Amino acid sequence: MSLRLLSVDPSDQGSQRCRMGPGLMSALGLSLGSPLLVSVPGGSCLCTAWPRPDLAEGFLQMDLKCSSLSLISHPPTHLNLDPGKLTPVPCPKLKGVKITLVVQSVDFKKHTPPRLVHELVKDMLRGVFVHNKYVINLEDFDVDIRYVVIESINPDSASSGFITSKTGVEIAGIQTVRHYRSQLQDQQTVPLGGLEEVSASLREMLQLPLLYPGSLSSLGVSCPRGVLLVGPPGVGKTLLVRRVVGEVGASLVVVRGPEVVGSRPGESEEKLRAVFERARYAAEEGPCVLFLDELDSLCPRRTGSSAPENRLVAQLLTLMDGMNQSDRFLIVGATNRPDSLDPALRRPGRFDREVIIGAPTLQQRKAILSVLCARMPVCPSVDMAELAQRTTGYVGADLSALCREAAMHAIRENSKSSGEQAVGMKHFQEALKAVRPSCLRSSLGRTELPPLSWDQIGGLDEVKLKLRQSIEWPMLYPEAFVRLGLCQPRGVLLYGPPGCAKTTLVKAAASSSHCAFLSVSGADLYSPYVGDSEKALAQLFREARACAPCILFLDEIDSLIGSRSNSQTPNSVQTRLLSVLLNEMDGIGLKTLDRSGTEKILQAEGVEESRTQKQLDCQEVCNKDVMVVAATNRPDCLDSALLRPGRLDHIIYVPPPDQQARLCILKMCTKSMPVAADVCLEELAAETELYSGADLENLCKEAALLALQEENMEASAIKHTYFLRSLSKMSPSLTAQQIQTYQKPPR
Amino acid sequence: MSKPAILSLHQALMKSFQSIENNQKVWGNVLADCSPLMVSLANLAEQSRALSNVQISNTPLRDFPDLEARLHFKILQATDTVLVKLNEKMSSLQSVRDTISNQVSAVVQLYEQSADCLDLLTVTERSATAPSVSDMLEWLQDAERHYRQQFLRRKTLLQTLRADDLSLLESAPKRWKSLESPSAEEHISDTLCKVSFFIESQ
Repeated sequence: MSLRLLSVDPSDQGSQRCRMGPGLMSALGLSLGSPLLVSVPGGSCLCTAWPRPDLAEGFLQMDLKCSSLSLISHPPTHLNLDPGKLTPVPCPKLKGVKITLVVQSVDFKKHTPPRLVHELVKDMLRGVFVHNKYVINLEDFDVDIRYVVIESINPDSASSGFITSKTGVEIAGIQTVRHYRSQLQDQQTVPLGGLEEVSASLREMLQLPLLYPGSLSSLGVSCPRGVLLVGPPGVGKTLLVRRVVGEVGASLVVVRGPEVVGSRPGESEEKLRAVFERARYAAEEGPCVLFLDELDSLCPRRTGSSAPENRLVAQLLTLMDGMNQSDRFLIVGATNRPDSLDPALRRPGRFDREVIIGAPTLQQRKAILSVLCARMPVCPSVDMAELAQRTTGYVGADLSALCREAAMHAIRENSKSSGEQAVGMKHFQEALKAVRPSCLRSSLGRTELPPLSWDQIGGLDEVKLKLRQSIEWPMLYPEAFVRLGLCQPRGVLLYGPPGCAKTTLVKAAASSSHCAFLSVSGADLYSPYVGDSEKALAQLFREARACAPCILFLDEIDSLIGSRSNSQTPNSVQTRLLSVLLNEMDGIGLKTLDRSGTEKILQAEGVEESRTQKQLDCQEVCNKDVMVVAATNRPDCLDSALLRPGRLDHIIYVPPPDQQARLCILKMCTKSMPVAADVCLEELAAETELYSGADLENLCKEAALLALQEENMEASAIKHTYFLRSLSKMSPSLTAQQIQTYQKPPR
Repeated sequence: MSKPAILSLHQALMKSFQSIENNQKVWGNVLADCSPLMVSLANLAEQSRALSNVQISNTPLRDFPDLEARLHFKILQATDTVLVKLNEKMSSLQSVRDTISNQVSAVVQLYEQSADCLDLLTVTERSATAPSVSDMLEWLQDAERHYRQQFLRRKTLLQTLRADDLSLLESAPKRWKSLESPSAEEHISDTLCKVSFFIESQ
């Protein structure tokens, strides 16, 4: 027989009675008012047995006056209980109890004399059966004292007992309900990956004044009380604060910009003061964090006019200055636009520390991915390290979107064929196509990059090798580079006659090295406003650095950036762009904000790491640069400052294809064409001296069109004659003289 | 064995109900005396506020020396008198509560002593004229809890009043009135009606 748990009768509220049938009571050997412990899923509750007024069996109603912690927030409802869950417990009269009070308002805690509180609590607890570590609910008294937590009982041989008027009551502490509930809720923590260092420093600031208050005051230093978290959107600033607060068990007071701003003059300042007051009260009970999210909207840079924001900023500044040593709360601000903050905020004494959280690095992405995938049924074949490598420039929010998208793909697929629910690598591949890094979302250099392999480019083996040396190798084998003391080249210039696959080569290099790829042309950069183009170029570099390793491709660099020596107007846009480019490539323009991840220095460590781990470390440390790849067919127009080693280190000549290369190109072009058996590509290759790759492709196209023209639409194969006829109609786009000019190196 | 036990228990229950009946009247009378006192307390608070709002030096009364301080002192004195009276009322309420509590705990103790020889069938047995022992014990406990709660709430209200918080003082009569719970009082009266036959039967 099972018992149905019903909700408690209103008249029994606060009586600590547990109503049950008289038959069950006598079966358990209980008399009226005997204490018994009822265990329900999630906790248990101490009650006194009482027969139901209608004497019906099979039902149970209990008043949760004395219950374990978890039942306070989640009272049991609608369940069936086994009678074995009811156990009578002996409850001797207690000599003393030690308790913690939970009161409704801070005012009560502050203004009520302790003698009165003691008297009231003693009155309220008289005649109550209590259990060690349980919570007594006193809400039915309707006074400020809400709960009493039993910390210990005397004699401690018993786990539960009865409080009489002779029982001594000792109050160990007083908390407010808000604080108490927040502590109860913080049991479950949010997962967070890859921000260990930042969260450790935050935690230290919170805990240090609490753990060692004496040593801090004896040193005569004040603990830092303000932290500014800076980072691009989506890196997890808000989540980090919530997580750390949960771990430390501090209470959190959140200020969202729009909530504070009111319409009446002076209203916003008043609200801000109230928030600080709230934090001050909360800090009296334990560590407290005042979190100002989106600080830039709350505290913009003050302007000359008497804008209402100015007053708000001034109020915040005075409030932060007015915090004295006894206010033990920490102010955490978060923003993704630190430059638009008022400069007065960013000084020690207000925001003492600035923590920059950049876009996650390889290792951090791996950590984030493993945290995200911990609760997903992921195939063992999914390699987090590889996935982390493929997701350059993704922030935490992007990664979580990626995982969600992959899971959605898995669900869609599995719903068709009811297989086992697991997310495989192919789902992640699909998701990678849909989810792009958000830090590049509005970037002007973002381009779609169709995957292109080296094999799709005919000939040019030497150039390919050089490109791989300068782009692919540093990304894939950083260990070897470090061992030989090589540093990554900063830039590569490809030059050569037009139509010789310079652009295609760069695309292939980008897709084979799996790094972010930004490409920009003159049209993106030029603007009618003075200084706008330079700003755009600098912005481009900043974005590229945020998602390093990254390839920044400047196609037709001669038109983009002129030379200083032979330009007619010395102060044209081109010259200014050139100086920006030179500066950015030297790294002078590097701002602290652009850094991705937290700073890390490669050093020889005593601990033996696994090889793959070491390789990952190497990759993380070495590949934080942006590689500039430029292409031009007029190398003589470039400024000589750009061509020196340290800027565009590798200058690679992409020659017009020789006979061997032309054969390869022709083979590549005719791969998808039905070519007649009599076609001799070797002969064609020999006859197409001075033809570029583009010319050869055109030749094949012409031949195919000719075939259609001659044999109507039924043509099934392209004969050799068509190739020869189209060849006779064409002339090479290159000239020997032109090639001659490329032969001498530009530097 | 169980017969004498139940008889003595019945007698104790009867006595308790009689005492509750008497004390209920006392309680009601004391409360009735309290409400005018609370109103005068609020009135004094209002006077005090009025005094703090007025600038005596701007009125014709400015010739009297130390008028503001004297008036303030007078109001405080009057407040003190009212509070002393209220305190007296509170102690009579406390005595009512203590009487009821003692009675009820004595009955419960008596039951506990003889619980071994009273099986559940006996204590839950009802008749046309007499409710069961368990019901009556329950009602007694309910009544006792009600008076304890009422006393505690009123005491908290009075004890948390502060002379410097005028708005708290001004709102005191309203809050005092809101503490009344007529339904619980009615419940006790109902209970007394339910046991009236039982009391008269002896």
